[in-house]
Amino acid sequence: LQDFLELAAGATASGCIYGLVALAYLLIIRPTGIINFAVGEWAMVGAFGGHFLLSRYEWPYPLGMAAAIAFLCLLGWLTERIAVRPLLERGAPLLAPILALLGVLVITREAISVSFPPDPLPVPYAFGIQYQKYFIIGVTLMVFAGAWLFFEKTIWGRSFEAVSLNRKAAALMGINLPRVTALSFAGGAGVAGLAGLLVAPNTSAHYLMGVPLAIQGFTALVIGGVGRVEGALLGGLLLAFAEQLTIRYAPIPGGYAQGVPLLFLIVFLIVRPTGLLKPE
Amino acid sequence: MKFLWVFLLVFGNAFAQETIKIGVITDRVGVSKPYSEPATEGVVFAADELNRAGGLLGRKVELLIEDDQSRPDISAALARKLVDQGVVFIISVSLSPATQQQQTVTMEAKTPQMTPMNSADYLTTQLSNPYFWQTGPLGSVQIATLLAHAKTKNFKRVALITDNSDLGQAIAKAFQGTLEKAGIQIVASEVVSRGATTATPQMQKIRAANPEAMFLAGVLTAENVLIFKAYRELGLKFPIHSSYNLSVPIYETVAKGLIDGITFVDAYDPDKPEVKAFEAAYRKATGRQPVNLTGYGYDGMMLIADAIRRAGSTDKEKIRAAMQQTSYAGVMGAKGMKYGFPDGKRTGYDPNGMVVRVYEGDRQGRVVYVGQK
Repeated sequence: LQDFLELAAGATASGCIYGLVALAYLLIIRPTGIINFAVGEWAMVGAFGGHFLLSRYEWPYPLGMAAAIAFLCLLGWLTERIAVRPLLERGAPLLAPILALLGVLVITREAISVSFPPDPLPVPYAFGIQYQKYFIIGVTLMVFAGAWLFFEKTIWGRSFEAVSLNRKAAALMGINLPRVTALSFAGGAGVAGLAGLLVAPNTSAHYLMGVPLAIQGFTALVIGGVGRVEGALLGGLLLAFAEQLTIRYAPIPGGYAQGVPLLFLIVFLIVRPTGLLKPE
Repeated sequence: MKFLWVFLLVFGNAFAQETIKIGVITDRVGVSKPYSEPATEGVVFAADELNRAGGLLGRKVELLIEDDQSRPDISAALARKLVDQGVVFIISVSLSPATQQQQTVTMEAKTPQMTPMNSADYLTTQLSNPYFWQTGPLGSVQIATLLAHAKTKNFKRVALITDNSDLGQAIAKAFQGTLEKAGIQIVASEVVSRGATTATPQMQKIRAANPEAMFLAGVLTAENVLIFKAYRELGLKFPIHSSYNLSVPIYETVAKGLIDGITFVDAYDPDKPEVKAFEAAYRKATGRQPVNLTGYGYDGMMLIADAIRRAGSTDKEKIRAAMQQTSYAGVMGAKGMKYGFPDGKRTGYDPNGMVVRVYEGDRQGRVVYVGQK
């Protein structure tokens, strides 16, 4: 049983990371319909921010985290300004910004890979190796609680909802569409960066870490469904438990265990294509 | 105008005569950069040391350094460029497949080429190129040395862990073959995939199998660090025996506090007199501490210098003949090891010249085993 509890704590922490990445996707998809695979690279930038501020310059932890996330928000906002808004303003189809954001993905990764050494770089723990999982879980719960309150209880969150329901009608009702889009990108980048910052003490900061995170987060999102904020967290947790329980308990050779969650995803999509949680 | 041409012809020629050109093909941005960069620093340091002592055959050594990004397609073109620029030897310190591709040029252009660091076994077996030598320790020698050390421990039940990279899988397969041949039972065999966020489930499974030791065949640094973290977090006590990947000094910083007591195979003995002299000279010249990888580049340049000296000329055929007669003790290798190519062989690293070392604290520490007997 102790074995299972250790595993459950670890899987919950991994699931929280996947859930945060899924939330980053969701924040952008809801109001805009744009799937942004660059969220993985934003998580990577967050991890490097952690290395840069917390390890190299040894800033106090809360300050370093806040600065890194603020930087990511700015980066997300700039991305929207440079790579998304000009396309939308000219009436490009939705596929155009998705492709442009794939370009952003490559540029971000290359920029990091030429500015830092090629080896994985250390990022310090918030409280030490044993406590990192609980730190991840705590911070993630706070973020999700915040996101839920934002969408359910604030007028701003409501305007996001309205935009996601019907862009044209929302604009006619006086909602500032460009501002909602910009905010969603800034928020998405901030959440993705936070995921990178939280996972990096375990995985180290590495310029190739973005794509696996982007895939895991997207899988979590598909499982949970884009309809509700809680879906992202639920999807992340399910994915992480499926992964780690398979590796630990399934009687199959080590190399094959990694394929099981993807099988799980395929089956899941067939049985429930809209995701676990339905929009309200 | 005419005068200028004559001037250039006379003196241009004199300048060209003045240096001995050595080509260096390295990787500055690709996957091999963590290895290639320190090795190249070793080559440069060796050339500087030679020049401070008056050069070779009374002439200065000039390095022409090219970056192939570890890409075989670029590599051959760069080898051709270096040959056209008149190099008498090419030293290759990027990835094995790139070095292999360069051979197509050096074989045809009859230009001596050597790699002091590449470990792929196929470099001297696939092409019969009399102008190519390999002095890096072969992959098969590394595995044999690590397992020879493990045999002295009389393990009956061990675990094996690796990552899902090509090289990690290949090393794990080699470990598995050799372990099984020695009658050692593999009670758990686990894989950590690239980009994983934890290795706890794998390490739990290994703990449940209760092995006497664990063999680590992975080569992805970040994933190896995950394994060490899970090992510490679960409070595991069995010893870890690792491939040469742990000899890369990056672990001293990125796995701080996690690696004490791990044994790994290496080609570097810090207690060897040649190493002490090399480290002192390097610190004095650059103000920095060299790492084991620096020694590979240093030895490569010094082996070439030794061959040119004995050839007494920069004639490529004479250098080739001299290189084949090499008997040279360098920085790399166990105490007393000499590089040599007896019986027409072109792999120069003594199969008994590798060592097993242990991490002491966060530093790569003492040698605990030598050779593969």
